[in-house]
Formats: sequence, C-alpha cells, structure tokens
Amino acid sequence: MKNLKLIAAALVIFVASAFTAANSISWKIADGYSIKFESKDPSGAFTKFKGDIVFDEQNLSASKFDVAVDAASINTGNGMKNKKAKGDKFFEVDKYPEIKFVSNTFSKTATGYEVKGTLDMHGVKKEITIPFTFSKNTFTGSFTVNRLDYNVGPEGGLAGHAAKELTIDISVPVTRQ
Amino acid sequence: MKKILLHGIVSGILAAIAGVIYFIIYQNTLGTAFGKIVNIQSIAGSSVLGTMIIASGYALLFKTGKMKFAGWYNVFVSVASFATIIGPISMSLPLTIENPELFTGLVVPMHFFPALSYFTIAPFFNK
Repeated sequence: MKNLKLIAAALVIFVASAFTAANSISWKIADGYSIKFESKDPSGAFTKFKGDIVFDEQNLSASKFDVAVDAASINTGNGMKNKKAKGDKFFEVDKYPEIKFVSNTFSKTATGYEVKGTLDMHGVKKEITIPFTFSKNTFTGSFTVNRLDYNVGPEGGLAGHAAKELTIDISVPVTRQ
Repeated sequence: MKKILLHGIVSGILAAIAGVIYFIIYQNTLGTAFGKIVNIQSIAGSSVLGTMIIASGYALLFKTGKMKFAGWYNVFVSVASFATIIGPISMSLPLTIENPELFTGLVVPMHFFPALSYFTIAPFFNK
C-alpha cells in the first residue's frame, strides 16, 4: 500500500512537471544584445553572452534565467583598461571566465517584472534582484552592482580609483524556440 | 624663412605619406577597422600640422636670432612627440570598435613621423 502511494505521488509529480514544461516558453538569445556597465570611470560592455531563457508572462513560476557573460569579452573602449580589467586585480578571467546569473523566483511589478537570483561573479555568489521589462521580444533591465561585494578590484591605491558602484544596463532580444 | 616653411610643408607631406602607408599596412595585416577614428584625411592633416608646428619653432628661433638653441629645440620636439602618445593610450574608443588594444599600435608610431620626417630631410634645407 505504501509503495502504491509512493508510485502515485511520483506519477503526480511527473505529470505536473511535464505540464509545467509544456507551458513554459523557451527563448533563444538573438544577435544585437547589449550588456553595458556605466559609471564615472569605467564604462563599457561585455560582448559575449549566452544562456538559457525560459519565460512565460502567464506562468512566472515556470520561468527560468540561466545565463552567463564571458568575462574576457569586457570592452571599455581602451586597450589598457581592458587588459587591467581582465587581469588579477579585477576579474581574473583565467580563473573566473564567466559571470553567471541563475534565477530563483519571478514576480510581477507595477512597471514590469522582477527576478531574484544568484549572481556568481569572481567566485562570489550573491542574491540580487533585477527589475526588467519584456516587450517586443526583448528583455530590458537595469540594476546596480558594487564591485567590492564581489572582490573585483581593490578599494584603494592606483587601481582603486575605479568606481565602486556600476549601473548594469541589459537589453536582450530573443526569438521563440 | 621661406626655406623653413618649405621644410615644414615637404616634411609634412612625407610624414603624411608614411602615415597613410603604415595605416594601410596595419589595417590589412591585423584586420582592424579603425577607419571611423583615423582616416587618410586625419593622418595627412595632423602630419602637416605637426611639421608646421615644428617649423614654426624654427622660424621663431631664426627670427629672434637664437639658432644656437636649435639642438635643444630638437630635443624638445622629440620629447614633445613622445609625450603626445599619452593621448591615444588614454583614449576610449566607441564600444562598437573591436580590439581597442590594437589602436595604440596604429597611432603611437605615427606621432613620431612628423619629427622623424622633419629631421631626416633637414640636411637638404640647411645648405
């Protein structure tokens, strides 16, 4: 009897998960995305971005962002700054090649949506919230990051003059898979 | 005086030719696309401007009768040419341009072309 109950429970979970998967919408990242960061100094962008995006406005609980930025693709527009950013004082791209974000929960807000998840940067994982909108098959979001929270760059010294707080502006066009 | 100005113009043209040749070779061998930042007109313009500034200094020395300081002026021109490389090194290019680290390799040598050209042909104008 106990076994029968376990089998029944497993079947319910299986059917429920299958139903959820059927309802979620997978999106493919299209060309033309931009992952920009802005501060007094530096400003720039990451040019390589990949990941899996599952998002359904009608079914937020089934939505999922699992995306990564290639840390070595940083471009500040200045070769010397790029080299410094990739080096051992900042992103250490040889050791931490990717900056990852994995979502936990989604919620609807007055202006759009909000995703809570884990930002894994430079070997430090932190929970963050990213407000975003989804319109015309494009995700647009903006949030701030304090680089010192992720041990990116020193606080003082010559290299420490780089802004601590950076605004990250994201625009990701997608196509339905 | 006329000779000094002619020296400036001729060396400017030669520096411009050298700069344009270097620009074309650099772009083709490294596959860079810095055409939005540097182009033939800007190379030619800045080369002639550079040599004319150098020539103006000589003209000033000549007018004030202080040609004995020409050697020191040459040192100043070389140091000033070296100092100007801080411009391209610290410059931030538009984010649409790839491989900004290769930009300095293109522009820094060009900063020495006017002085190099001016000094190279100087014996022809000092007769």
